[in-house]
Amino acid sequence: MQVDKAYSYIFLTSLIIYLVAIFWGLFLTPEDFVQGNSYRIIYLHVPASFISQSLYLGMAFASAIFLIWKVKLSAYLVRSIAPIGAITTFIALVSGSIWGIPTWGTWWVWDARIISTLILFIMYLGLISLHDSFTNNEKADKFLAILVLVGSVNIPIIKMSVEWWSTLHQTASITISDKPAIDTLMLYPLFASVIGFSGLVLCLVLLSSKLQILNRERNKSWVKKYV
Amino acid sequence: MPNLSALIYKKNMNILYFELLKLRKKSRGWLGPILVFILIMTAFPLTVEFLNKDLEQAFFSILWIAVLLVMMLATEDIFLEDYNDGSLEQLVIHTKSLSFIIGAKILIYWSLIGVPVSVIGSIYCLGITSSHETALLIFPVLLISSYIFLNLFCFGNSLTLTKGSVLGTLITMPLLLPLLVVLGKVVIAINLGLNYFDFLILLLGVLSIIIVIIPLIISFVIRAHLE
Repeated sequence: MQVDKAYSYIFLTSLIIYLVAIFWGLFLTPEDFVQGNSYRIIYLHVPASFISQSLYLGMAFASAIFLIWKVKLSAYLVRSIAPIGAITTFIALVSGSIWGIPTWGTWWVWDARIISTLILFIMYLGLISLHDSFTNNEKADKFLAILVLVGSVNIPIIKMSVEWWSTLHQTASITISDKPAIDTLMLYPLFASVIGFSGLVLCLVLLSSKLQILNRERNKSWVKKYV
Repeated sequence: MPNLSALIYKKNMNILYFELLKLRKKSRGWLGPILVFILIMTAFPLTVEFLNKDLEQAFFSILWIAVLLVMMLATEDIFLEDYNDGSLEQLVIHTKSLSFIIGAKILIYWSLIGVPVSVIGSIYCLGITSSHETALLIFPVLLISSYIFLNLFCFGNSLTLTKGSVLGTLITMPLLLPLLVVLGKVVIAINLGLNYFDFLILLLGVLSIIIVIIPLIISFVIRAHLE
């Protein structure tokens, strides 16, 4: 099975990259001048938040493909991404509130970025419950895709929330246009952690969509041959 | 030979007239939400101190949430009864412009529920903030926002047509997040005497997009339901 081989390569590479990034970030980078050692949770928080929004964009893209070209596989992909998106959003929220204790002095702030991330989390749960409430899977796929597309109006708001409102949450340190506002010593492990984490999540998405395909197509003869 | 477009026009107008009649006869459908709105707006001063300042501070947040809740209640079974008695299916078969009919249906709901709620809301605003200007300025905002709420809740409830309105609300509320943020900004703009008309134009722009797009999406969803 060629696909399974490729999958294990992706998994191992990204696992190694993420472990290296964590080791690099935890032991080899210097302490932050203001935040001390507590900033090191950045190597979990930033990749998780980045992925949680990117997964939604991915879902929106797949939904558009499903609605326009009626590609059934992309509908399966949308359904299998939703729980993973919920989990990564949850990780982002929890790691953020753990980080908030030493730096802001509180677990939770009613701040634009944090509220919109919580809303994203609830959106993911809503998507899952919408799909699960229908017994007819084809119908559920269609409705899920429509809802994902309509809901994608919220993504720019989550992304820009730190710029549009004066929030406690800092603005992005790394942008495409400007020089990063973070020291290179901390920047490189951060990049590595984002890449490694994305790879791991990609593996999770592949695994979950594989299960989804096998489950949905379980009556087909090729599935019986495969399993 | 009768003019075909005139005939179609007359037929559509007939359907609209019946919709209006149907909603007007069902007093629980239009009077109920308005009464609930009055109840909420009358009861909320009990939860805060009766100092006028506290009331003023709490008033607008209660107002937006009350409008949102009432629009949610109003659209709870907007398509369900038609779906159950089969008239929705007839409508889909008979009319070519289903989205037009749906848009008009929402307009009727708005004119019977949204407009009275806006009037009552501005009267309450006059009573609590005791400023004619604020009440006058809030009225168009209420009109526009109630229309947008109605459209979006219709969308949510059409997705979860037979699955109850809890799920419909769960998936629609996150979509309203941007609008609530803008409404909060409008109140600040009114209080400070700043760019109020910018926000009004922004809301009108959003409304004009939503009026066109949401009925199209709903008609797509309803066709999918009836497949």
